[in-house]
Amino acid sequence: MTSTNGKIMTASEAISRFVHDGDQLVIGNYTVGSCAELIYEVIRQQRRGLTLYSQSGIFDVEVLIGAGCVERLVTAYVMRAGGKKGGSAAERALRAGTLQMEDLTNFDYNARLVAGMHGMTFISVLEAVMATDLFRKRGFMGEDKYRVIECPYTGKKVVTVPAANPDVCIVHVQRADKFGNAQYWGAMGSVAAAALASKRIVVSCEEVVEHEIIQSSPHLTIIPAYRVNAVVEVPWGAHPTEVLGYYNFDSAMYGLFTMADATGEGLKAWMDEWVYGCEDRAAYIDRYISKFGSSALNSLKAKPLYSAPANYGAAVYSRWDRDGREIFTGLTLPEIETILGERGLLYE
Amino acid sequence: MSKPYTLQELLIIAVAKEIRDHENVVLGVGLPTTAGALAKALYAPHATLFMESGIVDFEPLVPLNHIADAHACRGFSYATDLYSAFTMTYRGFVDVCFLGVGQVDKYGNVNTTVIGDYYNPTLRLPGSGGAPSFLSYAKRTVLTMLGGSFADRLDYLTSPGYLDGGDSRDRSGLFPKGSGPSMVLTTKGVFRFDPVTKEIYLAQIHPRVRVEDVKKDVPWELKIAEDLSETPPPKDEEIDFIRRFAPNMVMGRELMLELTVANMNRKRAS
Repeated sequence: MTSTNGKIMTASEAISRFVHDGDQLVIGNYTVGSCAELIYEVIRQQRRGLTLYSQSGIFDVEVLIGAGCVERLVTAYVMRAGGKKGGSAAERALRAGTLQMEDLTNFDYNARLVAGMHGMTFISVLEAVMATDLFRKRGFMGEDKYRVIECPYTGKKVVTVPAANPDVCIVHVQRADKFGNAQYWGAMGSVAAAALASKRIVVSCEEVVEHEIIQSSPHLTIIPAYRVNAVVEVPWGAHPTEVLGYYNFDSAMYGLFTMADATGEGLKAWMDEWVYGCEDRAAYIDRYISKFGSSALNSLKAKPLYSAPANYGAAVYSRWDRDGREIFTGLTLPEIETILGERGLLYE
Repeated sequence: MSKPYTLQELLIIAVAKEIRDHENVVLGVGLPTTAGALAKALYAPHATLFMESGIVDFEPLVPLNHIADAHACRGFSYATDLYSAFTMTYRGFVDVCFLGVGQVDKYGNVNTTVIGDYYNPTLRLPGSGGAPSFLSYAKRTVLTMLGGSFADRLDYLTSPGYLDGGDSRDRSGLFPKGSGPSMVLTTKGVFRFDPVTKEIYLAQIHPRVRVEDVKKDVPWELKIAEDLSETPPPKDEEIDFIRRFAPNMVMGRELMLELTVANMNRKRAS
């Protein structure tokens, strides 16, 4: 299906156009409000050979690895389903030798994106990491995981990491306009850096709003329209994680996922039902309601708690007063034009 | 005579007492966030609570699910990003940080990455998160180890404590002077670090626990404080606050799950 309205499109179209086999793919969201529907669509379209960046790998990393999409993982955190006795897709893939992984600290992961976002080729990080095995044990990045240089100003040793510029970022936000201006509030994490460092950006949102709403609250915009390739409106698009102002974390559903994820077969069965078994988010929500009831879904909905409005107003909105006179000179436009002519400033 | 209390309550209070008024505090998820809420309510009303996701000066409303949980706050004063939360830590603005850990050695070095070989893991643990930076640059760090273990040699050094002990941390030149782990809390006691050797010792023991029980968990000859004390029983107001704020923490994960499932079944039956 081809969209006729510029950047507004379905998740299926956005992933098919902007996420390719072998891409470096970054999950823009950090711990909260994960772009679940976009992730599930990557899985349904069976992307292969991805280098996946996820700052705090939760179910996102688990399902993408479980579905065989990921060859390499860059992260600061992975989940473990069911504590010591359990397991995780990441652990199973590491043991099977089908996954290569690079462990970074939260800061170093984010610093790579900040460098990429600002067009630098590397960035200095916090030197204490040299005392840890994060520095000593290298994964697929090898020597390029960390390099140590001398600060040209102080002569001190400086640890650096290379910039990251992923091919594509997929990210879920509260709202966006049809041009792609994306507004997000709450835990800022590394969301803006992940998106802005990337070459292509696919935004999903709880709702598409009028451009005027965006323009009246520009401090909430974290990704500007000119960087965005696709806007996908997906209510409940982050479920079972949460979106501030829209719905809470679904701990019961997440609990079911966590139990399933303790084994490879469990995860596969769970994905058969909730990822492959639902053609889109609407079908997923239908299945959820038929299984757990609409009251379960409704109990997650956020009650309103609005931010205090901020006054963006100014004293003056026009250079012309009510009588059509320029406010500083007290002259009308014809009077000004006459003077311009008299002074020889108008070219015939 | 105060009310009967649970072990969880005792642990939360032991952690909360490490927060002093007017301090800047970074809270890891789980027990520390409840301790932060308790401290702010009862002992340290002017403490500024931080989450590493950039949520700064928040008012805890319900127990946090994770360290980016804006849903759990009654508002917060400053929404910055994760990068800035860490540079702020690097620049010395964090007084105390609380981290949950998996494996700790004699000098407070921490492993939260792997059990077994890094490249071929027996158990792949969650990894570093922000822990290495906090344990490096916060003025003090309190470690809570509820399910983990003491190890002679770590399989992986994720977050630096006192390195090889003595003055090795300060000598490395990589850390602010005087920083490092100040306490380790387990379900059996409170451990602190010798000011000179930086070796961990048992400072306080929880009620109903014997020193032999603690020693069993430690693979080296554990040093015991000469003035070893017993963790004091909670006061009623502390117990009341915790039970109202975080009934889930009081019950613990397993009991909470059992009682929630029972409630779901009751609803379904009616």
